[in-house]
Amino acid sequence: MSLIKLYFAEWRALLADKAIVVTLFGGVVFYSILYPLPYLHQVPTEQTVVVVDHDNSSLSRQLIRHADASPKISIVAHATNIQEAKSLIQQGQAHGLLVIPNGFRRNLMLGKGATLSYGGDASYFLIYSAVAEGLVQAGMDASKQVQLVGLLARGENPAKAEKSLHPVNLNAVPAFNPSLGYTPYVVPGLFLLILHQTLLIGTGILGAGQWRNQGYWLDVSPIKLLFGRLAMFTSLYILFASFYIGNCFYAYQVSMLGSFIETCLLILPFILATGAMGVALSCLFVRRDIPTQIYLLSSMPILFVAGFVWPIAMIPEPLVMLSQIIPAIPAINGMLQLNQMDAGWAAIQSFWLQLWGIFALACLLAYWGIKRRQLEVTNLPN
Amino acid sequence: MGILTYVKREWIALWQSPWQIALVSYIPVLGVLCLWWLFSAGLPKQLPVAVVDQDNSQISRMLTRHMTANSVISVEPYSELSEAYDALRQAKVYGVVVFPHQFKNKLLTSRSPTIDIRYNSQYLLVGKLLASQIQISLGDGLLKTAEQKLLLSGVNPASLDVNLSPVTSQTTALFNRNTNYVGFLVPPVLIALWQLLAMMVFANALNQELIAVQKQVWLPTDFWTKVMAKSLLFLPIMLAHSSFILLLLYQYLNLPHAGNIGVLIISQAVMLLALWLVVTLIFLLMKEPARCVSFCTALFAPAFAFMGITFPTNEMPLLAQIWRLIMPSSHYIDSHVNVVSYGTHPVQVIGQLTSYWMFLPLVPVIIYLWLKAPKQEEML
Repeated sequence: MSLIKLYFAEWRALLADKAIVVTLFGGVVFYSILYPLPYLHQVPTEQTVVVVDHDNSSLSRQLIRHADASPKISIVAHATNIQEAKSLIQQGQAHGLLVIPNGFRRNLMLGKGATLSYGGDASYFLIYSAVAEGLVQAGMDASKQVQLVGLLARGENPAKAEKSLHPVNLNAVPAFNPSLGYTPYVVPGLFLLILHQTLLIGTGILGAGQWRNQGYWLDVSPIKLLFGRLAMFTSLYILFASFYIGNCFYAYQVSMLGSFIETCLLILPFILATGAMGVALSCLFVRRDIPTQIYLLSSMPILFVAGFVWPIAMIPEPLVMLSQIIPAIPAINGMLQLNQMDAGWAAIQSFWLQLWGIFALACLLAYWGIKRRQLEVTNLPN
Repeated sequence: MGILTYVKREWIALWQSPWQIALVSYIPVLGVLCLWWLFSAGLPKQLPVAVVDQDNSQISRMLTRHMTANSVISVEPYSELSEAYDALRQAKVYGVVVFPHQFKNKLLTSRSPTIDIRYNSQYLLVGKLLASQIQISLGDGLLKTAEQKLLLSGVNPASLDVNLSPVTSQTTALFNRNTNYVGFLVPPVLIALWQLLAMMVFANALNQELIAVQKQVWLPTDFWTKVMAKSLLFLPIMLAHSSFILLLLYQYLNLPHAGNIGVLIISQAVMLLALWLVVTLIFLLMKEPARCVSFCTALFAPAFAFMGITFPTNEMPLLAQIWRLIMPSSHYIDSHVNVVSYGTHPVQVIGQLTSYWMFLPLVPVIIYLWLKAPKQEEML
């Protein structure tokens, strides 16, 4: 059987298997819409806050209006006491709390100082940070205004007063992902993981369905079978990868800072290494419904160990070491640095070499595994 | 035959499948422990931040010391700006702080110098945390210089604080006091994992009931008794695993919890029944093992994203909010947060179970599919 013939035989085997077709084509397209769906609004805005205003003065009302004007906060209720506010938060009608103490304005005018209390529901981190940022900003604003009035009352020159209120500018700017959006944060890593997992599942189901059965795969040498299969899956996954990286990244406003050539250079060993790893692991399966389950269970740990959700320095060292054998780990890190963080090719070369290393290792394992599976069938008394 | 005989048969069938045994014994335990270990650090600390000090004055060094004192930040001095940015791009540091040339000079002559802060917002959680911590540390340090300045200009020491910040603020994290990641992220992650396991165990058990005769698939006539028996067997097993999760988190790790955790087990039981209803529907639609598992996977794999813990539910597009309700785990996680954070009374938690009503319309569909499906007496 020539390599070309084998290549088409592989395609036929793939397309004839409905389970694989559903998982690969259906899964890749379905997930590209479903996974980013919750995050499409990118940034949490207008988080609900309940106010307890014990002061009821012009200044406290102004403060509330300023807080409400912040894009991050929406004042939904006025409670008469903290108990009432608490029950509103427990019912889920509000996620934050602003308490203005009694005598707020009076104390400020007398130059005594006053304390504002903010609370945010830290069961939800994004809500908490949005509420805290919004309220702190409104509070600081009020503080600055009182200071300015004080300085002007003491006869300070307005221009100078302005200066002395802002002695230093803190210019904090997000370096990448400038909108602080959630899809540009999740999508780049997640989509590579989807490609990785579906490719593993595809090779797994295909292998599990063939071992122990007669078929074309017995007529070729293990090396040939491995390369025929890799060629077929690589051509399919180049298509999927182009759809994800070329189309979906663009649609979800994920920045692409690397050049086309560099991205292709990185994706090629990723697909090859994952494919070879998939063929190698497929030699362990004989039931067609198992690969999907095993790879599904591994998805969440791989996603978290990749180090973009949870800082890699906080992950226990043994887990990080262990994860280096998974093609998705160097691929996600390399891709993030190349395309989202603009690190340049020199910086990600180690990831690229690691992927080729995994590919070489996986090829050896796959060769050995296929050989054993072929011997197993030919040795069977027919 | 009584239902007990069926349960016994399921038990024997369970022991004959090594994969099913793995799914109900060591895989959940290993998975739970592994995911917890991943997040066990709990609070991010000592995150590397590059400091480029082009001023090298007493004030810039004082500000650097203030950042060093912050437990979240680990200061790494860089002399070249370009090197610092390269390190940021390669994720070796998560932030860069630049003190400009003549920073002290400008500060003393009140020409408002600018401290540049860049943080890695591609790693969103880390980036946001660092941005606020760096600003808090620097703000605190700058307060010291402002104090000196005021004292020099003859302000009474007693009224110093008020002059500096007339309005002080006190920010409190409600419910998850120290904003611990273990308390925030690990419960939903583990629940998502547990849901996947329960889905697989049940789908596999259903798949065993298919009778394939010459490319035709048949269902046994006593299918429903078998489904009942499966539920009776796997319900306590899966609840044992979820109780292990609850015990690990709220007894062994002693994460703060306001309410009675025990009531959550009832909630989990209802969640499992709803989940298995969906699995049964998919099974009757597919009637093929690999496809049934693939389809269930496609449906439940993104459950974590839809729970609304990492990204708030009310910010999701409408379609996502509707899709969210198809996942039993999102119904459950609401009860979970209610009990753990708000200490909701058990009676109210049981009342929340009515939100599962939307799974009931599946019942007539399932019955219809069952009536249509080809059936066969089991050959004994």
